Amino acid sequence: MDIKTFYITKEKLRELKKEYDELVAFERSKTVGEEAPKIFESEDINPEFLSFQEDMSFLRSRISELKNVFDHYELIKNPAKGEQNIVGLGAKVKIDVDGEKDEFMIVGTLEANPALGKISNESPVGKALLGHKIGDEVVVSSPIKTIYKIKNIKYEIS
Amino acid sequence: MKDLVNFFHQAGKLKDMPRRGWVINDIKNPESIADHIFRASLMVWILGNKKKLNIERVLKMALIHDLCEIYAGDTTPYDSVLPKNNKKRREFMKTWPRFSEKEKKRLSEKKHKKEKEALKKLLKDLPKKLSSEIKHLWYDYEKGLTKEGRFFKQTDRLENFLQAMEYWKKYKKPPQGPWWEWAREFFDDPVSLEFIEEMAKKFHHKIKPRV
Repeated sequence: MDIKTFYITKEKLRELKKEYDELVAFERSKTVGEEAPKIFESEDINPEFLSFQEDMSFLRSRISELKNVFDHYELIKNPAKGEQNIVGLGAKVKIDVDGEKDEFMIVGTLEANPALGKISNESPVGKALLGHKIGDEVVVSSPIKTIYKIKNIKYEIS
Repeated sequence: MKDLVNFFHQAGKLKDMPRRGWVINDIKNPESIADHIFRASLMVWILGNKKKLNIERVLKMALIHDLCEIYAGDTTPYDSVLPKNNKKRREFMKTWPRFSEKEKKRLSEKKHKKEKEALKKLLKDLPKKLSSEIKHLWYDYEKGLTKEGRFFKQTDRLENFLQAMEYWKKYKKPPQGPWWEWAREFFDDPVSLEFIEEMAKKFHHKIKPRV
């Protein structure tokens, strides 16, 4: 089992806790023969859960994965006002990449999804942007040079 | 058994389906989707041993992860914005496509929905237990539900990146700039990053990249 720290937003934590409660309730219903929670009867809520019903080993491995996250997480919070001009975890950063505009949110590995603009703080670009301010030009150069110019930084974590 | 024969017959079609990323880069005789699955499986088994993963699970995931492409087809991030004119297209391939937050969400949801429907169609006549197993392995890969799902997502792209460098060395295409730009935003697993460092030494140590 991984013993790394998972940096997650409050929103993600809420989502994972909800999923955990539902999965545990479902597991219980399977093992002691209680009625399954209503959530599993509707494909509108979360169709992904439906497939768990046929495979208890996967259900249990997901439950254990979530337990591991709950044991080793740290919440991503908005920094103090005076530090909100610096790129940190949870920052939404508007950038100019070699002339092309883009926007990233710097998140922990568990929430990273570059296709949706969520960049991991452990990726080379995420790591390089951390600690920089608006106007900084961050060069990532191995082996081909790319310049990330920071245009704006904001924090909107609820 | 009849349904299994049909299923394997459909799966075999991946052997004749070229990977779209190479087609739009005018690569001669590009690899098929099945070719990619073969090496991604080999890579995730061997690299996965460094991560103490459930190898059986991650190997099954590798084998099924692109089955949906039998009906959904292969897609690339360039598809929605690719110019039809060949000269413009070649020029376009020199930069990594960037989208607004809204557009990223729309494209990602569209792809997921299309592939989910395709998988449903492919699995509809299989025994329920098997179809359910394939479905949840795919969801895991898509959503990164377990450490196996998250690591395979990285290995899948790592195989793709390795192939891009091999073609670049052989044909001087695809342009390497956008690949590196994407890779340094996408990869965050220490094993993947170490692998990339070695690839850079192997493929970029002498030749000046043509981007």
